[in-house]
Amino acid sequence: MNPPGSLADLDPNLDEHLSTQILAPSVHSDNPQERIQARRLRIAARLEARRREALGEYLDGKKESEEDQSKSYKQKEESRLKLAKLLLCGTELVTNIQVAIDTREIHRRVEEEEIKRQRIEKLENEVKTSQDKFDEITSKWEEGKQKRIPQELWEMLNTQQLHCAGLLEDKNKLISELQQELKTKDDQYVKDLKKQSDDISLLLERMEQQVKNVMKTFREELCNIEKAFEVERQELLASNKKKWERALQAHNAKELEYLTNRMKKVEDYEKQLNRQRIRDCEEYNTIKIKLEQDVQILEQQLQQRKAIYQLNQEKLEYNLQVLKKRDEESTVIKSQQKRKINRLRDTLNNLRSKYAKQIKQFQEENQSLTLDYQRLVLQFKELQKAMRHFALIDDEKFREIWLMNEEEAKDLIARAFDVDRIIHTHHLGLPWTAPDFWFLKNVGPISQQPQKSATQIVEEMLMHTEEEEAEEAASEPESYLDLPKQISEKTTKRILMLLCDESGFLVESKLLSLLLPLEQNECYLLRLDAIFSALGIESEDDLYKLVNFFLKYRAHRLSSSLQIKSCSQASTEKASMEETSMGSELELAEQTEMEGEKEESLVEGEKEEEEETPPYPWVIHPNDVVKILEAFVMGLKKPRDSRAPPRVQKNVRNNSKDSEYWQALTTVIPSSKQNLWDALYTALEKYHIVLTQRAKLLQENSSLEQQNTELQALLQQYLNSKINSELQVPPTQVLWVPKK
Amino acid sequence: MQDTVTTSALLDPSHSSVSTQDKSSTGGHTSSTGPQPSKPSITPVPAKSRNPHPGANFHRMRRIIAEDPEWSLAIVPLLTELCIQHIIRNFQKNPILKQMLPEHQQKVLNHLSPDLPLAVTANLIDNENYWLRCCMQRWPVCHVAHHGGSWKRMFFERHLENLLKHFIPGTTDPAVILDLLPLCRNYVRRVHVDQFLPPVRLPAQLRPGDQSDSGSEGEMEEPTVDHYQLGDLVAGLSHLEELDLVYDVKDCGMNFEWNLFLFTYRDCHSLAAAIKACHTLKIFKLTRSKVDDDKARIIIRSLLDHPVLEELDLSHNLIGDRGARGAAKLLSHSRLRVLNLANNQVRAPGAQSLAHALAHNTNLISLNLRLNCIEDEGGQALAHALQTNKCLTTLHLGGNELSEPTATLLSQVLAINTTLTSINLSCNHIGLDGGKQLLEGMSDNKTLLEFDLRLSDVAQESEYLIGQALYANREAARQRALNPNHFMSTITANGPENSVG
Repeated sequence: MNPPGSLADLDPNLDEHLSTQILAPSVHSDNPQERIQARRLRIAARLEARRREALGEYLDGKKESEEDQSKSYKQKEESRLKLAKLLLCGTELVTNIQVAIDTREIHRRVEEEEIKRQRIEKLENEVKTSQDKFDEITSKWEEGKQKRIPQELWEMLNTQQLHCAGLLEDKNKLISELQQELKTKDDQYVKDLKKQSDDISLLLERMEQQVKNVMKTFREELCNIEKAFEVERQELLASNKKKWERALQAHNAKELEYLTNRMKKVEDYEKQLNRQRIRDCEEYNTIKIKLEQDVQILEQQLQQRKAIYQLNQEKLEYNLQVLKKRDEESTVIKSQQKRKINRLRDTLNNLRSKYAKQIKQFQEENQSLTLDYQRLVLQFKELQKAMRHFALIDDEKFREIWLMNEEEAKDLIARAFDVDRIIHTHHLGLPWTAPDFWFLKNVGPISQQPQKSATQIVEEMLMHTEEEEAEEAASEPESYLDLPKQISEKTTKRILMLLCDESGFLVESKLLSLLLPLEQNECYLLRLDAIFSALGIESEDDLYKLVNFFLKYRAHRLSSSLQIKSCSQASTEKASMEETSMGSELELAEQTEMEGEKEESLVEGEKEEEEETPPYPWVIHPNDVVKILEAFVMGLKKPRDSRAPPRVQKNVRNNSKDSEYWQALTTVIPSSKQNLWDALYTALEKYHIVLTQRAKLLQENSSLEQQNTELQALLQQYLNSKINSELQVPPTQVLWVPKK
Repeated sequence: MQDTVTTSALLDPSHSSVSTQDKSSTGGHTSSTGPQPSKPSITPVPAKSRNPHPGANFHRMRRIIAEDPEWSLAIVPLLTELCIQHIIRNFQKNPILKQMLPEHQQKVLNHLSPDLPLAVTANLIDNENYWLRCCMQRWPVCHVAHHGGSWKRMFFERHLENLLKHFIPGTTDPAVILDLLPLCRNYVRRVHVDQFLPPVRLPAQLRPGDQSDSGSEGEMEEPTVDHYQLGDLVAGLSHLEELDLVYDVKDCGMNFEWNLFLFTYRDCHSLAAAIKACHTLKIFKLTRSKVDDDKARIIIRSLLDHPVLEELDLSHNLIGDRGARGAAKLLSHSRLRVLNLANNQVRAPGAQSLAHALAHNTNLISLNLRLNCIEDEGGQALAHALQTNKCLTTLHLGGNELSEPTATLLSQVLAINTTLTSINLSCNHIGLDGGKQLLEGMSDNKTLLEFDLRLSDVAQESEYLIGQALYANREAARQRALNPNHFMSTITANGPENSVG
């Protein structure tokens, strides 16, 4: 599309621009102002050129393109149109024949139809008329049959014959007509055939003509197109040649210009060179002189330098010698050091090996020792087990022995009591009352009483206090627990209630929700249980410690608050002094507490004053409970930690009471009674002696009586015997006397 | 060249020169006169430069004299050449082709005689060049373009056509064609037969024929004039795409008889069965065969729901309205793209049924109803159908007794329709007013490229104006195509179309 002419048009513009630029301020000039101006001009020129170009193209772009393309394009288009027209016309011409034949055929068909119709009509008419005639004839035959007269019959037959002949003639006529028609049709057919062949030949001719025409025109058009292309090419060539020549001319001119410029420049440069050379020569001379002077100075300096150099050389040589010596020495030392290092390395290696050996040895030792240790531990455990076992057995045995002994003792005591009672009742005639001692009820080893857990106590206590309240009997129970000593049941309860209320945070929320529906006491109990478990209170002792701690704390608070009143400064020391007097296990707790208190006491001083006034001095402020608890827990921790070892000893029951017990058992019978018994014994001894004497005497008496009787018997015998009669003097006479 | 090479090769062994000299002395003596003057003129140049070797120079001279200028290695043919010659000579008995190297194959094929039996060559040789020679030998005029550009296909198609043309039922052995079947089945795609000979009964038939034409016609028994049954052949050709049949006898001359041109019912039934069985058939043409309504319906029934059929040509027959109705049914039951019913006896009812089928058809591109008699009723029906049809591009209604009412409707169609490119209304009675109305319709149309209104009583002015509009449309179409090559092709495509239509 881009027309070559436009390029040609643009070229002079460019040339103009170039020329103007050469004349106008140059972009490459030294003056900045000029450069700026040049750039502005350039931009303006470009804009101008663009505008002109656009305008030009807009105006005559289409025309130009038409013109430019035309030569070939137009020719092509022209020939295309021509050929298309030719083809169209040709085909029309050829097909015209077909169309004409078609129309003819249609006409023929129409005519044929018409003729056919007429013919059919005619035939039908003919059939009708002939049928009529035939009917007439046949009817006449009927008539003829009735005729009897031969002449009439003949006449009728004749007429019939005539009629039949007429009918036949008609038919024949029709047939001949039809045949005539057929003949004409045949002729027509032949004519048609001829016409068709003519048509076909015409068609062929036309087709040939058309082919020839088309070929010819195609050739012509091809020639035309080629010519057009040729012409265009020639033109293009010419224009390009012109352009080329112009460009060459311009180039030559420029070349010439450049050449002259160059010559001028060369001359200039030559002149400048000459000038420069002269100047340089002069300069050279001056510099040469200067340099020669410099050389002289430098030579002098060189001499000096040489002298110095000599000196330095000597010095350096000396130094070198020295250094060499030193070097030798150092080498010697080095070798020595090396040797030393070697030696040391050897020793190091030795030591290392030794060390390794030792390590191994120790490891082995360690291993063996650990093995030993493990074995020992095992042994120890076994021993412990055995010991525990034995302890159990011992306990059992001890218990059995105890029981046995106790039984024995009890037997003995019972016996003694029996004896005593017998003595009292029988011998002394006094009323006897059985002495009531605690140890008499005792069965089994003493100190094996089970220690109650804190909760149990609390439970008991709660129950107890409740009962108490119900009874309203203020009388102090003889303490099923013989302990809290000076602490009353109520205060304990109050303290515990306080604790329960204040330290709800120690109870799990889940538990609390569970506790809601329960009874108050149970609720308290469970809560306290949870709190104790959280605080680590397990045993009865711990509980009492807690209660004591509360009480003590309050007491201390009271005192401290009092002291604050008097002298707040000394209070701390004093408190601490007092603290020392308190249980040793509390010391730490108290101290830590004190530190907190020091501040609190100051802050709460006023509060405490108010608190003091309330009528019931035993009240512990609920706010303090937490602090107290904290202190208590801190205090409790320490003994807790150190409790583990003594726990083993706990199993060892203390024998202290045993001896007492046993001692008590021995002294069931008091010494006064023994004295009594001794006296009684002596008296009875005497009585016994008497009695024994008496018995002896009685025995003697009886034996004597026996002897007497025996003797009597003998006497009797003798008396009764014949001998007596025979005897001059009969003994019986003699013996009559006693008989009387 | 040969001489110089041999001399240089024989230069070095000086001893052997003696024998060559001896050998060639007898033969070379006569020819020595020829080369002698030329050779010495060459030899002196090195002789002068190599003076110290006069012996060598002498030897060379002598040998050159002894040279046999006619001796050449080419005289002895190469063994491969000999083998190839032998193969060519014995190709009929022992066809060896595929085992050879390609260049040797080429050589063999170039020298094979085109007269070799087809049983040998048919499936073995694919070379077009060989078949080109075969064709050129048999037929003076060959249009290879009509046969898909393949000479082999052309050879077999024309060979088969020849056999079919001269097949006489009853006398010719059917094996002639069936033997060829396995050889040509892969190559024949188009069967074009323009004559089917009836069975020979001439000696028996001529006598009554001589007595009276009409009588012999009436007494003619139908089965006796059956033609060749195409069933086996069509079933055997696996690539058959086009079937172009004319039940006709050519060059009968004075032996003309009406019964020579009979397309019998049996023919019709067998043909219908054959084309029904052929699922590759795309184009079916049955022209100039006196196909009447019943036969047309039989054939069309067999074509219903055919998978690939695209073109049906039943022109120059005797098909009436019933046949046209059958064709209309076929339109809605197949993928038919081209339907040609030119020169039949279709009247208004047939055209109406065709129009009804056309109204909703999406396949048909071309419809030809030239030289029928559909008249205005049929023409109006077709015009109505074209208002809804979006597929038809070519419509030929030449010679159909159409007049102004059709023209008015068609002008409305022209304003609406954008697919029609060619309409032919020649040889009708459209009249002046109809022409004007068509001109109006044309003014709104931008797609129609051809509109034939010759000999239809249209005013010249309106015809000229319509021509202008068509020219504008053609230019627009050309611009749309943009590609100049495409334009050329359209022009060339238009050319034959015009000549045919």
